[in-house]
Amino acid sequence: MLPLLVYFLIFFLYPVVQLFTSAFTSGSGSFTLNNFHRMFTDPAMAQILPTTFYYFIGSLGLEFLVGLGVALLVYSYTGRLRGVVRTLILLPLAMSPVVVALMWMLMFDLNYGPINYFLGLLGVPAQNWLGNTSLSLPSLIITNAWEFSPFIFLVVYAGLQMIPVELHEAANVDGLGRFQTFRYVTLPSIRASIVVALTLDAIGVLKGFDLVYVLTNGGPGYSTSVLSFYIYEVGFSFLQAHYAAALSLLYLAIIIAFVAAVIKFTSLEDYLGLKKMVEK
Amino acid sequence: MKISSAIKVALLVVISAFYLFPLYWTLITSLKIPTDIFTSPPVFLPIKITLSNFFTPGSIIGAVSQTAVGSIPWMIDSSVVAGLATLASTFLIGAPSAYALTRLMKRGLWLGRLVLFMTLIPEAAMLVPFYLIVIGLHLLNTWWGLMLVYLSFTAPFATWLMMGFFNDVPKAVEESASIDGLSSYQIFYKISLRLVTPGLVAAIILSFISCWNELLYALVLTYSPFPGGAQTVPVFISGFIIIEKGFAWGGLAAAGIFTMLPTLVLGVLAQKYMARGLTLGAVKG
Repeated sequence: MLPLLVYFLIFFLYPVVQLFTSAFTSGSGSFTLNNFHRMFTDPAMAQILPTTFYYFIGSLGLEFLVGLGVALLVYSYTGRLRGVVRTLILLPLAMSPVVVALMWMLMFDLNYGPINYFLGLLGVPAQNWLGNTSLSLPSLIITNAWEFSPFIFLVVYAGLQMIPVELHEAANVDGLGRFQTFRYVTLPSIRASIVVALTLDAIGVLKGFDLVYVLTNGGPGYSTSVLSFYIYEVGFSFLQAHYAAALSLLYLAIIIAFVAAVIKFTSLEDYLGLKKMVEK
Repeated sequence: MKISSAIKVALLVVISAFYLFPLYWTLITSLKIPTDIFTSPPVFLPIKITLSNFFTPGSIIGAVSQTAVGSIPWMIDSSVVAGLATLASTFLIGAPSAYALTRLMKRGLWLGRLVLFMTLIPEAAMLVPFYLIVIGLHLLNTWWGLMLVYLSFTAPFATWLMMGFFNDVPKAVEESASIDGLSSYQIFYKISLRLVTPGLVAAIILSFISCWNELLYALVLTYSPFPGGAQTVPVFISGFIIIEKGFAWGGLAAAGIFTMLPTLVLGVLAQKYMARGLTLGAVKG
């Protein structure tokens, strides 16, 4: 109890107080609202917020579709290689995002990369994936989806495995078609898994920094600068700690609002077993 | 299911290839001779292979700087920092806090929520204050400074994970120990902690992987490698990439493969814990 509160004090309360102090002061230490005023007038922010939003929606959407699809497919396959396929799909989750970024730089390489080669076979001209402002964000999203769609797979697949066999048999006996079985039997059974997968993946996407930093370094221009990256850039490249602190508060507020909304509108806490764990 | 199994197997092959190919491509790039790397059409099955990319960067034009085996000082830093942060967060903070929350405390709900919330805080949001704190403690570029900051995400994670494992221990076990006259500290240390060994292993392995792979804090809190500094592997790789991208693909691929091995092996070994850990206990798998 006491150690936990001390920990909370050192690792959360004190840093957050420090964030507030930095954000509401100027370089000379006097009170100011300039750092927040600047947020609204900063031309970079006019690009960073939409970029963060598209990156968020794109990554989450692609990861969810791919993860769910793969989970349903692996689940419906009952052959011997199921375990091998599962292990294989989970590999990206243990890899460092920095190395994943490197791997995809090799894949996206303009002249010698396999992606441009395969597209060339289909008659598509070579693309400068990471250097073209309209392709850089999709490339980042693809890389992100490669690394984190296995997370969605992992959660949904585990949810699928917990569906009692009898449920599917009953649906079969009742003469439900494949789509109806999916809609009325499978989907409701994995609702908890889907909520957990989407929530935690959303947080993971919002946290993302490493892939952006290595793969595109926020560029070209600001085309892949997401909020987390911009905070780093403002604080540690432009050396404007006070403005970075103000941006951090905005970032923290977004995360808190998101988590609070999820907890309010879904049973996330029950799915994670919170009440069960703390009840005596 | 109406999809014939042939189509299903074909789809599974495509999916496996999608997840495996970037890894395969990086692996063969690390083993290729330079003329096979810088050629179009790409070489998918290199005939001549070499290990020289691991010892020399193989750069033709770029500023030849680093090599895969040259990353060993950075690996020492990563191992020490990840090891210290992991052990401290699991044994000093995680397990005792989780035990207190699930067993001893009357009003644990809000504290439990707090722990959950702290596992979700993004690193970038705390970057400025942690930097100021580490500077203030004169711990910049040290194992201790980085390890301390890593506790900010490993400790709540370990606590949350261990809460789930303690919750799975039947209360009857502890009750009978209590009847036998053991104090609650003895019950924790001698009985419950032994029964949650899988949880401890899961917390240790997953925390270790996340510390080993962490980039952002290491980037701003360290500036030189062992000995004397504490710069970790992800900073090494990202710096290497920034200098040599487009040039030393062979050396970079070799460094990526070489430094990825520890966490990849741990990840495969800890597969059955990965689901539970990464989903914060929602999946017991």
